[in-house]
Amino acid sequence: MQRVRIAERPQWRARAEEAGFRFHTIDGQAYWDETAYYAFTLRQIEQDIEDPSAELHQMAMALVEEVVGSDTLMDRLAIPAHYRDWIADSWRQRQPHLYGRLDLAYDGTGPAKLYELNYDTPTSLFEASFFQWQWLEEQRNAGRLPAHADQFNALHEALVERFGELASRLPPPLYFSAVGSSQEDIGTVEYLRDCAAQANLHGEGIAVEDIGLSEDGRFTAVDDTVIGTLFKLYPLEDLMAEEFGRALPTSGLQLLEPAWKAVLSNKGILPLLWERHRGHPNLLESHFDDGSTLRAGWVRKPLFSREGANIEMHLADGTTQRSDGPYDGPAIIQQAHPLTRFEGGYPLIGSWVIGDQACGIGIREDDSAITRDTSRFVPHAIIDEAPTQIYV
Amino acid sequence: MKRSRTTALLLMSAAPLLFTACQKEEQVQVQEGLYTSVQACTEATADPSACRNAFAAAQQQSADAAPKYADKAACEADYKPEQCVEQRTSAGTSFIGPMMMGFFMSQMMNSGRAGLAQQPAAASPAFQDKNAGWARAAPGGSGGLNTASGIGAGKAGLAPVTNQPNRATTASRAGFGSTSARRSGGSFGG
Repeated sequence: MQRVRIAERPQWRARAEEAGFRFHTIDGQAYWDETAYYAFTLRQIEQDIEDPSAELHQMAMALVEEVVGSDTLMDRLAIPAHYRDWIADSWRQRQPHLYGRLDLAYDGTGPAKLYELNYDTPTSLFEASFFQWQWLEEQRNAGRLPAHADQFNALHEALVERFGELASRLPPPLYFSAVGSSQEDIGTVEYLRDCAAQANLHGEGIAVEDIGLSEDGRFTAVDDTVIGTLFKLYPLEDLMAEEFGRALPTSGLQLLEPAWKAVLSNKGILPLLWERHRGHPNLLESHFDDGSTLRAGWVRKPLFSREGANIEMHLADGTTQRSDGPYDGPAIIQQAHPLTRFEGGYPLIGSWVIGDQACGIGIREDDSAITRDTSRFVPHAIIDEAPTQIYV
Repeated sequence: MKRSRTTALLLMSAAPLLFTACQKEEQVQVQEGLYTSVQACTEATADPSACRNAFAAAQQQSADAAPKYADKAACEADYKPEQCVEQRTSAGTSFIGPMMMGFFMSQMMNSGRAGLAQQPAAASPAFQDKNAGWARAAPGGSGGLNTASGIGAGKAGLAPVTNQPNRATTASRAGFGSTSARRSGGSFGG
């Protein structure tokens, strides 16, 4: 794994506009950054990222079965009692899921370590799936990347295929929702709606704040149509905590991601995984936080934080680092395993699982060791050494 | 090869998705009602001829739009027994399905422009399940007719509605999204 500088495509901003990629620059700061790329070998991708991602996904899914059957475990994950049966039922009915992202610390040496699961509202998908793919094609065609350059990115095809499988399992009509003022989230949702349409599954868009509740307790679109399935790029724990939340269990609404993702989007899954797979090479030691002072060599994360908010790090060398944010409440602690610094920043690998298939990555690079929502997206390529010997 | 053979965008490159109801545009007002009889329709709209035509048009579509079951028992799982009868689609396929229990009629509001009032009202059949929930054929999927015979699709081809028969719907909004309003930042995902 190397970070390699490369000339930008002269036309990339125009290409972004064409594709409806409107958040390539956020608040004047580059978000899409193609002044460099990360080069991997095929062996690194397959053995260190793809296979462990598939295994971690299976371990996580096995835990859902266990957690939804246990009030004690639901308690430890701080899942409100009002929603537990609804969450458990969504799992027993096998309500289908679309996607998830595993965040992995990896620098090309040693096993990748799981930082956390983003299994409810993962973002940075369009950039990984479409725009990164287009970057590789165009840089190969321009001769800036070798003709044999590849990429771990079957995301687009996997998404279209997955939506095709979901078509008969989601009660119509289907709506795609995000916060109306978030350009980034709307971009991600528009892309998913596009992928669904390519699978002949058609849905409308609605802002989360425009969703209505009828007198008989069903959720409605702006024209009063009852929503059958709601894809929501909005944290499930927030939906549950808000005014309309209490109507969710009896509304008949099916969610995508489904309600049982409450189990996996929760950082409490990390100590539970550790308890069940102690010493697994891709897991960092993790425990539920007892509130005591953070010891050197540990990181504290709230159960529900996102975008790298409210993380407290106390590194082995004694330095501490902390990120701000709106989250509090119960937390976990995780063994510190700081990201490796490359020229340009600290890369974190987002490893995507579509349906149940690990099929691509996107890399976020930050100036600090905590990856946040403003971290730059840097493309990657698989570039094996050209064969030095011809076998006959 | 570890990457997609090809990628494409159908919708994104076009105009951005209209994502909020707050961007109100001047548009022709359409009033839609759900009615259980021509008489109830007439009382609500004072337009007996439109109501009669809408009822007849809905009835004509009802077999094609109805949820289709292979047998009476399956139908009765979703609908009242007396509603589940043998019917025949316009293509001649017979099936067991619920009778139409009402009809939707949408009319252009007469905003003083003579031409608009002449347009016939749009109509479609309404079905009521045994839990008293109303539904109509989902857009693009009339009663499951997209499958070869449509039989067995059951309620999957219907879209539930909140319309209360013979009166307007009342709903509250903005009960979701309050957390995002308290937070700043670009994304609410992660």
